[in-house]
Amino acid sequence: MKEIDDLTIPDLRFAQDHEWAKLEDGRVRVGISDYAQDQLGDVVYVELPQAGETFEQGAVFGTVESVKAVSELYMPVGGRILAVNEKLEGAPELVNTDPYGDGWMIVVEPADLRQLDALMNSAQYLAVLKG
Amino acid sequence: MHAAKNPFVLHEKHAPFSRLRSVPVRKENMMQDEPKKTLLHGWHTAHGANMADFGRYNMPLWYPAGAKQEHLAVLTAAGMFDTSHMAAVLVSGPQSFELLQRCFTRDLNACSGRGKSALTPGNCTYGAFLDENGFVIDDAIVYQLADQSYMVIVNAGMGGPIARHLEAQAGEQAPRILDLSDRLGKFDLQGPRAAAILMRVLENPGKVLDSMRYFTFKGCMDPNARISDAVRMSDSAPVLISRTGYTGEFGFEIFLELEHFIQTWERVLEAGKDFGLLPCGLAARDSLRTGAVLPLSHQDIGRWPFINHPWEFALPFVSRGAGFSKAFIGDQALLNIRSPEYTHAFVGHDLRKVSAHDPAAVLDAGGKKIGEVLTCVTDMGIGRCEDHIYSIASPDKPENFQPKGLSCGFVKTAIRLSPGQTVTLKDNRRKIEVVIVENIRPDRTARMPIHQMMDAGR
Repeated sequence: MKEIDDLTIPDLRFAQDHEWAKLEDGRVRVGISDYAQDQLGDVVYVELPQAGETFEQGAVFGTVESVKAVSELYMPVGGRILAVNEKLEGAPELVNTDPYGDGWMIVVEPADLRQLDALMNSAQYLAVLKG
Repeated sequence: MHAAKNPFVLHEKHAPFSRLRSVPVRKENMMQDEPKKTLLHGWHTAHGANMADFGRYNMPLWYPAGAKQEHLAVLTAAGMFDTSHMAAVLVSGPQSFELLQRCFTRDLNACSGRGKSALTPGNCTYGAFLDENGFVIDDAIVYQLADQSYMVIVNAGMGGPIARHLEAQAGEQAPRILDLSDRLGKFDLQGPRAAAILMRVLENPGKVLDSMRYFTFKGCMDPNARISDAVRMSDSAPVLISRTGYTGEFGFEIFLELEHFIQTWERVLEAGKDFGLLPCGLAARDSLRTGAVLPLSHQDIGRWPFINHPWEFALPFVSRGAGFSKAFIGDQALLNIRSPEYTHAFVGHDLRKVSAHDPAAVLDAGGKKIGEVLTCVTDMGIGRCEDHIYSIASPDKPENFQPKGLSCGFVKTAIRLSPGQTVTLKDNRRKIEVVIVENIRPDRTARMPIHQMMDAGR
């Protein structure tokens, strides 16, 4: 298990359920944090929605499956799915090896960008992890 | 195995994605619930293990290699598990045989080897301790150490309950019953390279391992044991070495005194490094044992009658359905069940699972609920190829076969299902179709002749 100080926590927005959200030209890219992938262990399967589907903030948009457990993925911001990371179908381990990069999961067209501002910043997220 | 729902607590305290909870915990409760640690706890955390509570012990789930690589290592090379959270109960003196014969589900006069001969010193046997209802108190391996002397290995936290159960059943002329919980070191070395690794660390390895059959053991942890029986590590630490395990693969369970435990663990790991030996956590142990159709006590067997399941070899049937060869606690309850339930192994079509603790239901073809899911995990060492299941270790696997993993586990249903039958498992998220089977991971190595496994290391 990584020590808190060994976790990578880049300057992104974070939801309570350990998804990260990154603003890119008015769109929001979403994945799960280094802490989340470390806790889950080997990710062996990621179930993602279809592009075009719409979800509310906090709604389940997919699941991430480790050898041991299946966990829900929650929308950090509501909106329409513009893209999903097709690479994860053949290489789900990217969630473990590069959670903030090639392990991204969806790109969302946000319904209300203010939802993004209401998420935690990296310092607040780190404080939550430290308990 | 004592956490009633999910022994791996990922869904509770450590759950990413379940809503973070801020329930205040009262300090006195924390003290009371403080998990126990094995002697290797510091080693596990220093080597980057993800830890979780299991059977009231804080144990490694996986190390940095990850549960998948650990699982595959046991199929193709070897893995090592800290199992010193398991408990040993010594039963010795007059009436020991009679007590175990009355409390344990195996007929100790007819349980050893294929010919079903009597258990003798150097042999061990798997079975269960039941209550009067035929419900499982715990499962166990009983080792016969000498005439009227036995070692009973039970699950984490069960040393006390099983010792008390035996004492209560023993009556006046009680044998000596000694609970050795937390007083014994134990690790499991599992995988096709296990013998080759042991040959590097045992004193006189050829003599020790030669012609050692499945479910036999040699040696003793006690340094005062008679020299002729002793098995020692090359640094002279005495060990009891048993050709058993909980993975379905070739290997050993090794018992030793606590004072030698950490150094022996480290020496064996070092000796196995170039064979690909990995330390393995509970996640790999769980997926390996499920693929090998082995039950987890208090999850796949438990507070219901111990019958109509894949482990009926652990009952003393004269022949199937024809009564038992001995009387034992729970026997009448097992033979007089009014509404039987049936436990079956299953395997899925891909690696997707349902969460058994949701709970998950078993549905028949018409969508009617017929039972519940006891265990559902992914065996990452197997995959389907043209409707045939291969393991990464299958000698006849297709060229370039890369296992994608298959979900598998156990269901308990109100009707008897047949191998080949398809049922649907449904939890709160998804439905998956699975096939009822007798066997899950093919080409397991547990019963391989030991000389072949020793030759592999020469």
